[in-house]
Amino acid sequence: MLPLFVVNNYGQFNHLILRALRDLDIDAKLIPNTTPVEDVIAGCRGIILGGGPDISRAGMSDQYIHLKKPVLGICLGLHVIAQTFGGTVQSGQKGGYGAVEVTITDHDTILTGYPEKMQVWASHADEVIVLPVGFNRLATSSICGNEAIAHKELPVFGIQWHPEVSHTFEGYRIFENFNHICQDQTEV
Amino acid sequence: MVNTEKFIAEAIKKIQTESNGEKVVIALSGGVDSSVCAELASRAIGDRLIPIYVDTGLMRKGETKRISEIFGHLGLKVVDASDEFLDALEGESDPEKKRKIVGERFIRVFEREALATKAKFLLQGTIYPDCIESEGGIKSHHNVGGLPLTMEFTGVIEPLRELYKDEVREVAEALGLPKEIAHRMPFPGPGLSVRVVGKVTREAIEVVREANAIIEDVLVERYRPWQCLGALVGLGTGVKGDNRLHGWIVAVRAVNSRDGMTADPIEVAFKDLQEIESRITSTIPSVARVVYDVTPKPPATIEYE
Repeated sequence: MLPLFVVNNYGQFNHLILRALRDLDIDAKLIPNTTPVEDVIAGCRGIILGGGPDISRAGMSDQYIHLKKPVLGICLGLHVIAQTFGGTVQSGQKGGYGAVEVTITDHDTILTGYPEKMQVWASHADEVIVLPVGFNRLATSSICGNEAIAHKELPVFGIQWHPEVSHTFEGYRIFENFNHICQDQTEV
Repeated sequence: MVNTEKFIAEAIKKIQTESNGEKVVIALSGGVDSSVCAELASRAIGDRLIPIYVDTGLMRKGETKRISEIFGHLGLKVVDASDEFLDALEGESDPEKKRKIVGERFIRVFEREALATKAKFLLQGTIYPDCIESEGGIKSHHNVGGLPLTMEFTGVIEPLRELYKDEVREVAEALGLPKEIAHRMPFPGPGLSVRVVGKVTREAIEVVREANAIIEDVLVERYRPWQCLGALVGLGTGVKGDNRLHGWIVAVRAVNSRDGMTADPIEVAFKDLQEIESRITSTIPSVARVVYDVTPKPPATIEYE
C-alpha cells in the first residue's frame, strides 16, 4: 500500500506529524512542498498539509488539493484549503496560543470518537473567517469560529489546532480517522 | 516506540562496522543523547572511543565534576576552556551572537583536542527531529552532517538518527545509565549564557549558576519537570537590611513536555516557590526579586533566549 505524504510547510511541528503516524504504525513520508504533482499522484494514498509560518511559503500545497486524493490540512494547511475553495483567511481578533477548548459540532468524519468538548493546543494568528462554499463546520471555539471544516462531498478536511503535539487531547484519533478515510477511498 | 534491546544490538554492530578498526572521537556533554552514544560506542569498540568533555564555564553547578565521575571509566578527557569562553562572551548581549560565539569557540576547542587524538571518525548524538528539521529547512543543526570542523574525518557516525528524545531516554535506561543521565533535563548548547537576558558577565553567570542550583534542588525531586531553570531577566529595586538594592530579577520556570515542542507550566505549590525565593535572596546578595513564569509554549519558548 502507498504511504501518506506529509507536505512540509516549514512548521516546527511538521516532523511530529510523522512521529504521530509512526507511533500508529501508519506508513508516511515527509515531502518538500515543491514536489512535482505527478510524483504526488503516483506516490501516495492521501495527503497531509502541514502547518507553517507563512502562506506565501506553502509552495505547491494548493495544487495537491485537487488530485482526487484525501487531504487533511493542519493550521496553515487548513488556510490553504480554505483559500483554494474561495473562503477568507485573516488575522483573528485574538490569536490561539497554547491550550484552547474546542466544541465539536460534527462527529461524522475526521472527528469521530471525540467528546463534545476537549482541550487542544494551537499556535496561530490567522484563521478561516469565511467558510468556503461547499464546506461544513465541524468544530468551533471562543477563539475562532472555524476550528475544523470538511468539504460536503470530497474527502477534504482542515483543522486549526495541532493534533500532532502531545498536549492535544487524543490527537492520534484524527490521524487514525484520516487513515481510515484514505483506506476507504483506495478500496472504491 | 523503540524496541530497546534490538536497537542496542544493531547500534553496536553499526558502530563496529562503520568505525572499521579506527579511533572514534565524541564530544560528550553529559546530556542524554551524547551519553547514550558514548555508552553504545564504548560497548562496541572499547578504548578505541575517545570521549572529550569541554568545560565552557557555562555549565551548571557541579556539572563538570559529576560528569567526570560518571564517565571516568570511559577514559573521559576533560578540557577546561572556561576562560576562553567567558572572555569571548564578556559584555555580549545579543542572543544570536552569544550562540555563535559559543558555537565557534566550542568547535575550535574540540578540533584542537580531536586533532591530537588522531581519530578518523566523529560520533554524534544527532536525533530524528534534528535531521528532519534540517532537511525541511526549518533550521540548520550543527549536529547534522558533522560539526563544521576544518579537520577532515573519514566519516561521521550517528547511531540515534531514527530516535526521538523520549526514545533515547528509554535506550539510556536499557543501557543501565544512571537515572540522572537518563532523565537529565535538556540544557542549551550555549549553556548559562542564554539564561542571562542581556549582557553576559562573569558575575551574572555566577549568579545564574547559583540560582539554577537552588531551583533544581527544590523542584527536580518534587515535580520531576521536563525542564526547570532560572534566568536573570533584568534589574529591579529591592531593599536588603535597610539598604536600597538595584539587584537582579530571577525568573523561575518549570515546565512539563513530552518532546520539548510544546510545554505547559507546572503548578508549583506556593510554599515551594517561597522556599526558592527565600533561598535565592538570602544566599545570593545581588538578587532583589524572584518571579515565576506561567507561560506555556507556545507562545513562549522554554528558555528565555
